[in-house]
Amino acid sequence: MRGALPHALPENGGFLRVRFGEEMGTNDRKKIRNDVILAVVLLLLAAAAMLFWQLQKTEGDFAVVLIDGVETARYALDTDTEVEIITDGGGTNTLVIRDGEAFVETANCPDLVCAGHRAISRVGETIVCLPHKLVIKIAASTDAGGVDMAA
Amino acid sequence: MNKKRLAAWILALCLLGSLVSCQKQSGKTKYSAYYFDYFDTVTTVVGYADSKEEFDRVCESITAQMEEYHRLYTIYNRYAGLNNLHTVNDVDDGAHTVVQVDAKIMDLLLYGKEICTLTGGKTNIAMGSVLSIWHEYREAGMYDPAGAELPPMDALRAAAEHTDITQMILDTENNTVFLADPEMRLDVGAIAKGYAVEMVAQQLAAEGIGGYILNVGGNVRAIGSANGDPWSVGIENPDTEDTETPYIAYLHLSDAAVVTSGSYQRYYMVDGKNYHHIIDPETLMPGEKYLAVSVLCKDSALGDALSTALFLMDFEEGLALVESTADVEAMWTLPSGEQKYSSGFVAYTFTLEK
Repeated sequence: MRGALPHALPENGGFLRVRFGEEMGTNDRKKIRNDVILAVVLLLLAAAAMLFWQLQKTEGDFAVVLIDGVETARYALDTDTEVEIITDGGGTNTLVIRDGEAFVETANCPDLVCAGHRAISRVGETIVCLPHKLVIKIAASTDAGGVDMAA
Repeated sequence: MNKKRLAAWILALCLLGSLVSCQKQSGKTKYSAYYFDYFDTVTTVVGYADSKEEFDRVCESITAQMEEYHRLYTIYNRYAGLNNLHTVNDVDDGAHTVVQVDAKIMDLLLYGKEICTLTGGKTNIAMGSVLSIWHEYREAGMYDPAGAELPPMDALRAAAEHTDITQMILDTENNTVFLADPEMRLDVGAIAKGYAVEMVAQQLAAEGIGGYILNVGGNVRAIGSANGDPWSVGIENPDTEDTETPYIAYLHLSDAAVVTSGSYQRYYMVDGKNYHHIIDPETLMPGEKYLAVSVLCKDSALGDALSTALFLMDFEEGLALVESTADVEAMWTLPSGEQKYSSGFVAYTFTLEK
């Protein structure tokens, strides 16, 4: 067991003793032990909750811009912004991020399918502008949640 | 006592660490890639691989195959030294010629004949003369919305006289194609994407590759599972005005296909009305019965062909076709936004928690 201890910890498992001092009665020690158990339980509960939340989470963190399949930029969904994406051959698409959602406000492509697409915010959602070979997709900092493919 | 405390702490930290890194427990990472060079649409590849290099290798194999199918099946481009469907459609001195073709073309055209029979002519690859008129007016209308016009019905009717698939003469012994009607043109747009995707998927599976899902313009095909779990696929809401509902269905699938035909992807506007690309062989106009139809089955070629046919059929007729075809399920979205399902479709759906 000792072999597995991080090096930063003092020998003889003394990090609690260092923190709380040497001179303690049995009751104090029991209290501390109970506190520690409580802390561990809380920590585990928190971790489990976080895990559960991550698995359930579908809202993304970023709008990722790919031009002809190559990522050129990513914008955090929690910061409102407006940016003109310039694609090969002079194509422009105005990407707006507002209230945690991304959408194309205007574009100079002929079909305007991208501008007609609803705002996206969930992992796996995409807006595609075929004429400009542009993909805007929602990604998260973790891989959990959302759909694998939108069609 | 102290040792026990320590042990508890360490255990807790270890557990926490393993929870945080739980996504990586299998060692595979999820990658994605997008391509724009095939079938005039976007190709999406999502896959699980041990490394980016491994994923890139699989993508190279996929794109090389897609490139080949695209070149063979396109009617819009010719390539030096290659007989493709553009060559088959060519007219020389007022007649088509007998064209020697690759087995991949022969197999597609044979499949096209089969599908035409199965769908009662709703999915007909011999409709090129009609579809080319729509294509021309749609392209013109997209680039000049103010001058957008509908094709004259006279021209459509005249073209529709030359859509008899029995005039497509296939010689499987010599691998030649001949269009006996000089005015006839092939257009495999309703089946080629699904067919190509299916062929690529089968090739990957034969090479022992799994953990990938492809999407070529709404033709989704899963090869294997998503790292042990089924893939989750969201079917986009065809009502683009509806901002609350991005997907009308969430599907779980492995080693299967789901193909969606919709009125909302390829269209142009004339006098404020949407005219999309799925043309009814009877009315010669875009089908107006549904906003979208999705077909769930094993084979994306069949899915592609059926989704077009169902889009143009009355619901009862389409439902009967689905229920009488093995391992096929479907979902119809009516113009009202209401969904109808075949008997087994809902079994594949799931709910995505917010």
